[in-house]
Amino acid sequence: MRRIVLFALLCAVMGVSCGKKDDAVVLRDWNFGGKPRMIEWLRQRVDQFERSHPGVRIEQSQKSWNMIRELLYADYSVGLGPDVVNVHANYAAEFGGAGYYYPLNRFPDFREVSGWYVPHLLESTRYREDYYGLPCSGIAFVLVCNKDLFDKEGISPPRTWSEFREAARRLTKDTDGDGTVDQYGLVLLGGDKGGFAYRLAPFFLKAGAEILSDDLKTVRFNSPRGVAALRLLADMYQVDHSVTPGFLAYTLTEVNDLFCSDKVAMSIEGPWFRGMVDDKSPGKKIYTVPVPVPDDRIADYDTAPTLQDMVMYSINARTKYPERAWEFIKYLRNEEADMAWIREDLGALATTRRALESPEAKALADLPVYMNELRHARPWPAHPCMIAIASDIFAPYTEKAIVGELTPQAALDQAAREAQEMIDEKK
Amino acid sequence: MKKYTPYLLLAPALLFTGFILIYPVVQNLINSFRDVSLVRPGGGWTGVLNYERVFSDPVFWLAFRNTVIYALAGTVLALIVGLLLALVLDTNTGKMCSAAACLYSIPWVISPVVAGFAWKWLLNDHFGVLNYWLSSIGIVRNGTSWLGDPRLALVCVMAARAWQFYPFAMVMFLAGLQSIPGEQYEAASVDGATALRKFFYITLPNLRPVSSVLLLLGVIWSFNDFTMVFVMTRGGPINASMVLPVLVREFSFVHFDLGKGSALSIVIFAMLFTLSYLYLRMLTRRERL
Repeated sequence: MRRIVLFALLCAVMGVSCGKKDDAVVLRDWNFGGKPRMIEWLRQRVDQFERSHPGVRIEQSQKSWNMIRELLYADYSVGLGPDVVNVHANYAAEFGGAGYYYPLNRFPDFREVSGWYVPHLLESTRYREDYYGLPCSGIAFVLVCNKDLFDKEGISPPRTWSEFREAARRLTKDTDGDGTVDQYGLVLLGGDKGGFAYRLAPFFLKAGAEILSDDLKTVRFNSPRGVAALRLLADMYQVDHSVTPGFLAYTLTEVNDLFCSDKVAMSIEGPWFRGMVDDKSPGKKIYTVPVPVPDDRIADYDTAPTLQDMVMYSINARTKYPERAWEFIKYLRNEEADMAWIREDLGALATTRRALESPEAKALADLPVYMNELRHARPWPAHPCMIAIASDIFAPYTEKAIVGELTPQAALDQAAREAQEMIDEKK
Repeated sequence: MKKYTPYLLLAPALLFTGFILIYPVVQNLINSFRDVSLVRPGGGWTGVLNYERVFSDPVFWLAFRNTVIYALAGTVLALIVGLLLALVLDTNTGKMCSAAACLYSIPWVISPVVAGFAWKWLLNDHFGVLNYWLSSIGIVRNGTSWLGDPRLALVCVMAARAWQFYPFAMVMFLAGLQSIPGEQYEAASVDGATALRKFFYITLPNLRPVSSVLLLLGVIWSFNDFTMVFVMTRGGPINASMVLPVLVREFSFVHFDLGKGSALSIVIFAMLFTLSYLYLRMLTRRERL
């Protein structure tokens, strides 16, 4: 009797486990970064997609931006990697050019889909003739000012470099009278090389300096205008002492903490910053203005380019199901989905024309500034080595110049030499 | 069949060890002689080129110097603190003393990642407790940037490392102290030796074997330590606290140059192998004595 019961139980267990055979197509999706609310929104969207596409199941995993390149390279180089991934748009050159991403313009309805997006945002997903992603969140780097500190000092957000330097000097002070400076004009994010390069580049671009030549063959950031941009920050650190002395150790967390506790007055940030400040210090008021221009370029204040960054959704070139992956990323990034980026602060800007031109968009505090900056902004040059050059060469040398280990000219010349070698080697 | 049974029984363990230990080491050795990159095609044999590139890289020599300082000075500092606490615990007994011994051991059982983050916040220039205390008694100026100053960053990670290692040293020293025969101290007291003379002529010589083993172990572990430096400074600012294990990651997973990263890890392996050999020789000599 006992044997019969055991046999019946075994059959029941096997029946249950075999009966749940899953014939669905499984797509692996890696999501890098994002605010908690954005991640929650994404999960809801994925659930909706699975409900409306019963034959497709999404296996989603959340990853950190800090690990993005090593995770992607480690997987792609052995022929693995997720079917769908969100990455920086400038990865189109590095990963798209290396054949890791599927050219989206091969899909028959690409032309129709591309019409959803603001044209210059879509363009930054292009490398040579192919488009490697659907725009996800637009980012322009701007100057964020602590309104309370500016108002207390009776000054307006700076427009030129002289005003910027003067504002930083005036806002650097000993507020409690103990003989030590406890409030600084400017904070720089120096503990994350990539993040530092992204915050320094806007000064170069606003000054009219180029990063690479148009044909992407020659390094140009050590031009006199580039040197002037770097000298501005070096002088603010070494001469005016208006930059936080410990900036080389700061990550975004420290920058946010200092800003929210009124220890710094200005920082170079993007659309994520208002939400971060709100989370930590609800109701805190900020000015969001363009990064200042050199005094002789004040006429171009509204049109001088800042650095544009963007996140895009890409499809693995080796996926078994490109059509399903295409359906999935269209669902995540269509005009209806994009409205979520207008209705809530998800840490970046919407990218579709319909969302950005909607009546709800008019109510967004910083949108006019960001839209104007994005219209003129430039992404990092579309060279496969650009991310490595920015993080591993440009950032460390410019940090050395700011703290005075090298002169701005020597630092940029040395960085340009190494970057040029990298580019020539790639050729 | 009986003849092969032991080998069959051993096979799973041997295969497992081979897969997780021997295979990676051998593959790493092979990679160190090849041009292996995740971002460009390659894979050909390059002889000792990767080693030449490692030795001609100025950051390697900076990291080597930092690693030696980090390992030696950090360990010595931990040994001094460990010895002092062991002496205190050895001379006092009772429940309070056991409780103190447990408390002093806490750093040893904390995960290095957690400890690294805790130290990072302690040393924060604006919100850190250390600056608050030191500036309130006038030793430093408020806002001193411990981890952002290239002159201080290495010292700070070294202190954090010493803080993690001292409990182990303390326990070992305590065991060493308790094994010193009491007659030696009694005889010295009869001869009128002061406490200081007893310490230098009885305690320290008796602790020499323990100290040497601790020093060697501490240096080996610190030489190999990645976590504390990576969590606290990532080798920055501007490479000021760069150590060899962090540099291996930099070469391999930031520059994606696995050939160069493998060559450097083989260099570290050779250094640690030598130190381990010395350690084992020391142990066997002690056993013979």
